[in-house]
Amino acid sequence: MTMRLFINGEERSAAVHPLTPLVDVIRDELLLTGTKSVCREGFCGACTVHIDGVPTMSCLLPVIAAEGKAVTTIEGVGGPGNMNAVQHALEEHDVVQCGMCFPGMVMSMTAYMERRPAAPRADIKAAMSGNICRCTGYERIIDALLSIAAKEDTTA
Amino acid sequence: MTEANSGSDVLRPITIAGALDALGGGRQIMAGATWLMRAPVRGEAPPKAAVLIGSIPELQQISIGQDQVTLGAGVTHTKLAEALAGVPALKGLVTAASRAANPPIRAVATLGGNLCTAAFAAGDLSPQLLALDARVTYATKDGTQDMDMSQFLAARGNLSGGLLTRVRIPLGNFRSAHARLPLRKAGDYPVAIVSARMDQNESLMRRVRIAVGSVEATPRRWSGLEAALEGQPYDLKAIADSAGSLTNEFTGRDGVEADGWYRTKVLPALVRQVFEDLSMQFAERP
Repeated sequence: MTMRLFINGEERSAAVHPLTPLVDVIRDELLLTGTKSVCREGFCGACTVHIDGVPTMSCLLPVIAAEGKAVTTIEGVGGPGNMNAVQHALEEHDVVQCGMCFPGMVMSMTAYMERRPAAPRADIKAAMSGNICRCTGYERIIDALLSIAAKEDTTA
Repeated sequence: MTEANSGSDVLRPITIAGALDALGGGRQIMAGATWLMRAPVRGEAPPKAAVLIGSIPELQQISIGQDQVTLGAGVTHTKLAEALAGVPALKGLVTAASRAANPPIRAVATLGGNLCTAAFAAGDLSPQLLALDARVTYATKDGTQDMDMSQFLAARGNLSGGLLTRVRIPLGNFRSAHARLPLRKAGDYPVAIVSARMDQNESLMRRVRIAVGSVEATPRRWSGLEAALEGQPYDLKAIADSAGSLTNEFTGRDGVEADGWYRTKVLPALVRQVFEDLSMQFAERP
């Protein structure tokens, strides 16, 4: 069956079963490989995308549930030359390690920091609980995210 | 009803009656999908036929009255926690809904899915709803059936051809609390869960309800501890001691995250946490 998706601002289609995990459609059919497929059970967060702006585990979402909604992947939030605040902060603080968890981290934290740019450390930690980093870089990631609010304070 | 594909493998009804009509043909009810889509990880076949119930408005309703809260079975953990944040008696349920799993899962996982998944022992909402004396409505083509939580949890593995539509929680002069022990501080399945509610009654504990989740395959009330505490003065050490002497009411299930003995061993500490929380809530009352 042909599934139609609105992804990163473009209409795309894929001939797949409606219950195919969205991550497989994104990676294997649409060739957007920034989204990672790792645990496939909603623990690690590497497959996080935005569905109508809400961070969602794409490994557990049947593609049919994304029809008619705005899907944003890591390729759609920014790149060289137009990185968002979270991406800037992570780069400036040199916290990107193996890269497996980072697309998901960026997706989760982009949505969260837009909503709560001055969130305290404990709240950021709780918001990151769906993203596992096996390089154990959590504290430096949080330092980077906290710098976003600090920078806004000094530029206000 | 909207048919999602020509083979009618996947259907998206917009009414409860439509959903009931759509059942059969090997279709599974799919709400947040977080359990069913994990089937391959459990060594099971991925779902190929489903009735998607996320487009049924009646299942999304939340009603907060003077005496009762009614929640549609399609309400997500996130929406539940947001909607009930202003209901002091249901702080335990808000805690359960806002600590379960992780933020992206809570955004899609539903109340009904959590209650109906008999194979998932570590759900947070079931023990809390047991403690709150909640009742559920189960709809079939022949009509609706009203059950208390214990009845529903005992029967759910054998129910078929129907749909859990709503959960009703009585309100009153009580407070509730919820404690869970995940191996990581957040985002993990809890090894054990203790939920409790208790009436405000000067210095004596009244209408004590305590439920335990994740220790055994199905959550259940801790009737021995409830009886031991009922009518007693509030004494945190005595409460924890009673819990310690009654953990043999449970036989912990062995799992990759914890052995059975460990699940029962931590129960007194969780009981202490929930009663500390209840005490603080009563102290804060205007």
